Amino acid sequence: MVRRFFLKLFRRGGMYQDMQAELAFHREMAARHDNAIPLGNTAAIGEHGYDLWRFTFFENLWRDLVYAARGLRRSPVLVLTALLSLGLGIGVNAAMFSLGVEFLFSEPSVRDAGSLVSVQLGGNSNSPPKAGDFLRSSGLFADVTGEDEEAITNFNNGAETRPIFSVYTAKNYFTALGIPMLHGRGILADDPDEVAVLSYAFWRKQLGGDPAAVGRSVNLNGRWCTVVGILPEHHRGLIGFGYSPDVFLPRYLDSTMLAIYARLKPGMSVPAARAGLAAVAHRMDAEMPAQYKYADEIRVSPIAGFARLKSEPEMLAVGVFFAMLLAVTGLVLLIACVNVTSLLLARASARRREIAVRLALGASRGRLFEQLLAESLLLAVLGASVGLALAEVTAVLLARIHLPLPIPIRLQIEPDWRLAAYAAVLTTVAALACGLLPAWQSMKQSLTHDMHRERKMRLRRTLVAAQIATSVIVLTTGFLFLRNLLDSTAISPGFDVLHTVRANVNMPPVGYADARKKSEYINQVVDSLAALPGIASAAAARVVPFNGGERFRVGILFADNRERRDVFFFWNGVTPGYFRTMGIPLLEGRTFSAADRGEKVVIVNRAFVAQYLGSRQPLGTVFLWGGDGKTPYRIIGVAEGTKTLTIGEEPQPQLYEPLAQIVNDRPGIEFVMRSAIPPALQLDAVRRTLHRIEPMAGAQVDTMYSSIGLAFLPSQVGALLMGSTGVLGLLLASIGLYGVMAYSVARRTREIGVRIAIGASRGAIARMVLRDATRVTIAGTAAGLLVALFVTKPLAVFLVPGLKPADPLNFAVVALAMLLTGLAATWGPIRRAINIDPNATLRDE
Amino acid sequence: MGKSAQPALLQGTLDLLILHALQRGAMHGYAIAQTIHLLSDEVLKVEEGSLYPALWRLELDGAITSKSGLSENNRKAKYYQITRRGRKLVAEQEATWSRLSAAVARVLGG
Repeated sequence: MVRRFFLKLFRRGGMYQDMQAELAFHREMAARHDNAIPLGNTAAIGEHGYDLWRFTFFENLWRDLVYAARGLRRSPVLVLTALLSLGLGIGVNAAMFSLGVEFLFSEPSVRDAGSLVSVQLGGNSNSPPKAGDFLRSSGLFADVTGEDEEAITNFNNGAETRPIFSVYTAKNYFTALGIPMLHGRGILADDPDEVAVLSYAFWRKQLGGDPAAVGRSVNLNGRWCTVVGILPEHHRGLIGFGYSPDVFLPRYLDSTMLAIYARLKPGMSVPAARAGLAAVAHRMDAEMPAQYKYADEIRVSPIAGFARLKSEPEMLAVGVFFAMLLAVTGLVLLIACVNVTSLLLARASARRREIAVRLALGASRGRLFEQLLAESLLLAVLGASVGLALAEVTAVLLARIHLPLPIPIRLQIEPDWRLAAYAAVLTTVAALACGLLPAWQSMKQSLTHDMHRERKMRLRRTLVAAQIATSVIVLTTGFLFLRNLLDSTAISPGFDVLHTVRANVNMPPVGYADARKKSEYINQVVDSLAALPGIASAAAARVVPFNGGERFRVGILFADNRERRDVFFFWNGVTPGYFRTMGIPLLEGRTFSAADRGEKVVIVNRAFVAQYLGSRQPLGTVFLWGGDGKTPYRIIGVAEGTKTLTIGEEPQPQLYEPLAQIVNDRPGIEFVMRSAIPPALQLDAVRRTLHRIEPMAGAQVDTMYSSIGLAFLPSQVGALLMGSTGVLGLLLASIGLYGVMAYSVARRTREIGVRIAIGASRGAIARMVLRDATRVTIAGTAAGLLVALFVTKPLAVFLVPGLKPADPLNFAVVALAMLLTGLAATWGPIRRAINIDPNATLRDE
Repeated sequence: MGKSAQPALLQGTLDLLILHALQRGAMHGYAIAQTIHLLSDEVLKVEEGSLYPALWRLELDGAITSKSGLSENNRKAKYYQITRRGRKLVAEQEATWSRLSAAVARVLGG
């Protein structure tokens, strides 16, 4: 093949003359030998030979493209409509694709991400640092490090203290992972504890993006930490999803639990690592026993690429969502392609004569076909460029918008080879989808001489009906997600989000190491907040729903019949006023009181009673639990359940303990207040109170409603993406309907003129055109609804309970929207039809 | 074409015949046509319209090479010569061909 390529390249010169000379010699010899002189067409033989020596495919393609460009330049309206349709179609596909790739396959900014695994011991996401040290010294892995990625640090900028998102790392974190830096260096093993690495965004915002910031000190948790390095702008963290914490600092408290990451030795497989880890974990259990067994439920999972998708079930749900999103945007592209097809069909009929002449002159059908396809290829390539530009602009705009999230999320979307490959596939598909039918049509009609125009009009109408059907599917999906959003906002999370204020406070480590000091502070804050004017009640809690839960999976022993049960519940430690403040109804019994001393008491929720207590009377039930598994706990109340993680979830078992009953070893605490006036008006007073009691404590004060926004995020993002895709599909389909109706009116100008001349009223003409459009719209809508009924079924996984994909209201609204759009698209053509001047039309003849 | 006395060449056989002829030494196009004509006891007649495209294609494929030389009547002509690759091709195709023709003969004979 290569040889042939170079032969062609270098020996083409004078080829044609050589061939002719050879043929002439042949004839001369034939004449000399008295043989019959062959009666061939020497020119044709020469052409044939010449073709052998050309790069036929590319030269033809180039010529076809040039020809197509020349032809298209004469139809600017067609080109503009086609580029707009294809640009929007390909653009939305490219944008969703990049988003999906970033969410699912982005690699963290580390050296050789493929060899990194996340390690879980005893079924816990985080383990004590000494477990990590043990693992490192075992020599099982090439390197072992750890981080606590969900830590909060108090940052004091001189004027105020704010909690910021931070990562506590093992000292070898930066070297073990090989994280590239923008300025300075990562944290090193022999650094003191008082160092920090800053994120790009934090550096820009708080230190003005000054490169000399390296070496300066920042006040974190009341300690002055030296900035040793700045991360690059496009740093991707280990947990993905665009989570971008502000600072990284070495872990300095022994109580900080770390998520363990390890680098596999070259050639070591994940199963082999798992087997090795099991052995090491057993040694750990023997040498340094903990509250749980390290060797129970060990997990080794890759952190990047496909392997990660397979090992994490929640990633799978995200993957399914994006697959579905791509399918829907694919349908939008299809709608766009049908628009272009329709335009090219109209053009094909105008070029009927040209093609007939070419065929008569001996052009091969294959070549003509190629030539016609070149036109749609050109449109598709141009459309793809417009689309990619649109996608890029959207991505840049999206990056500028600060997402109103409680967690810093920055998606690093950059065009890469995957996007390029996807765009190339889209372009090819679009070119074929737009071009095949018109090309085939124009060949066919050139042969069957005077083709019935009626049949061709029918083809275009069928296409538009199909287009409408497709938009109905897209729209149904989009609308379903919109409904989902509305319904999920209406679902009660199980507590009052409208009249409550939430303050997330992080006590400074200095002076608050003691649990009793923490309790004193908490009680003082609760009392002061409750005393504020307009505040009806206040309480403290370890967790506020939707902000991560503390899950427990433990064995308990019922005191009455010694029955042992493995239970799973969400735990919370609260002060007595919590239930009243949050508006969580108590179904039975009472809340905690200051008198609950000595005996351990708990309040459980309805789901806990139903799932675990069996036929027992909940009040007064005693079970043994606790660190030793022997401490009796008495149930003194049953509360209604709240949602804990997502708004759509089924009720989960919950268990509350009085804060006063537990050893409070955490610096973080939540305060909730019920306000008699709009809660937004209370924020300043709450902030002032907190600052007065402890200026060094970081506080994030917000209304409950805005602070739990994250719970609504998945359905909001879903509704936004799907909804806008649906509207885009509708828009494209209406362009298609408009085009066909306008063309149909233009074609029937003479007929309509005659009708008017012999006395048809304007109303009758309008009705005629309208009837035409309505028939297409209704047929398309009906077909679309039928298909949508089936294809939306799998969406049920994403919907809130109570909302079914086959919702009649949903279908009714979509059908109505479709019909109204149809009417709007027909408005222009109708006006044109009734304004046809019969005299002018007849004179034209 | 169409005359029963002059059987049309099967697809692909022409290449084999050309290569076979060239195994006797370098020749120009006319000589190749003549050789095939004579070797086939004047049954096969190769038209220039199929001969030259076949030669050019074989040359591109590397089965034969060409150089210019002087003909017997001192005219400049293009001489074709078989390459090593061409000889290998002939050997393969001859084997295939004899299997095929034997099979056809058996079918017709049976």
